[in-house]
Amino acid sequence: MAADLVLDTAIRDWVLIPLSVVMVLIGVLRYFVSKLMRSNQVPDAKIIKEGQLIIRARNLRAAANFIPPKSFRARRFYFSNEENGLLIVPKGQVQNAQAQMFSDPNMAMDMMKKNLSMIIPQTLTFAWVNFFFSGFVAAKIPFPLTQRFRSMLQNGIDLSTVDVSYVSSRSWYFLNLFGLRGLFSLILGEENAMDDTQRMMQMSGFGFDPSKSLGAEKDSLDIVQHDWALPKFEHRAEAVLKKLAI
Amino acid sequence: MGGHNDSSASEKKLSEAANVVPTLNAENLQSNMKVIYYSRTFMSIIGGVIAGILGFTGLTGFIFYFLVMAVTSVGLIAKAGFTVHSYFDSWNQIILDGFLGGLLSFVLFWTFAYDIVHIF
Repeated sequence: MAADLVLDTAIRDWVLIPLSVVMVLIGVLRYFVSKLMRSNQVPDAKIIKEGQLIIRARNLRAAANFIPPKSFRARRFYFSNEENGLLIVPKGQVQNAQAQMFSDPNMAMDMMKKNLSMIIPQTLTFAWVNFFFSGFVAAKIPFPLTQRFRSMLQNGIDLSTVDVSYVSSRSWYFLNLFGLRGLFSLILGEENAMDDTQRMMQMSGFGFDPSKSLGAEKDSLDIVQHDWALPKFEHRAEAVLKKLAI
Repeated sequence: MGGHNDSSASEKKLSEAANVVPTLNAENLQSNMKVIYYSRTFMSIIGGVIAGILGFTGLTGFIFYFLVMAVTSVGLIAKAGFTVHSYFDSWNQIILDGFLGGLLSFVLFWTFAYDIVHIF
């Protein structure tokens, strides 16, 4: 067991606290920059139409048990019959969307902007931390760890005799990078950075092949087991009223 | 006594009926989940700072985290008026959701406060 290190208070004042504060501020800055750079492109009418169609089909699927069997069958026929159902995509148009996606430079530009607004601040902060704060023992985590964590927590200092629970400044940067996500979601509201990546994934998934999602929705609509719920609701209402009466 | 039995039977029937048909609005459910996530994150950050200032080390700190999460769960259930099924699908959602996500924030703020107060 190595003896306890004595850390200078100047390290606290000039490394630990500035590093954490800068990480928070850069997170806030990145949020607002990405908000400014987000261009609101005019959505394609066809894509919107297909999206709404999928939502309608999904609503039908979710609320299927609240309508009589006959109405459900009629609605399902409307959506997924083989001749002119709304969810049936003609075979010829399938690769059309993909080709359109590749030919549209706006979308690629938008995606690149988003990626850049993620990557550039991170590289810059990392370079900044490396330049100013390399080689400090900045912190000590309050629980013991095994030797395996040495490369993770003492990145940047090559001392094999120091206890593993001491953290180098570069690794403190990484800890901040991952641990502050929760704080950002609190101070920035719903649309934090994590949401941004999710939305990006969603958008690329959506723009990729809408006909595929239409087909998937049709399949799941086809296998819905219809079971009318309303007759059973009399029992439920009886139970509720009895409970109220007592 | 008979009345009590009857009410419990009808309650059972009620919960059965509620189980058979999902009567929860998906959007509201999602907003409830978001509230849980926020309160857990908030509690883990506050709990981390408290654990750091009090100077917990090792296992004590993690036990403290479990305690904080348990208190949060109880608070959420009390806020839901002890009728979880009218707000959420299952008990797991209110008890386990956001447990690991909060742990990272907890460790970070625990370390931060502990270092500032005790190490230097």
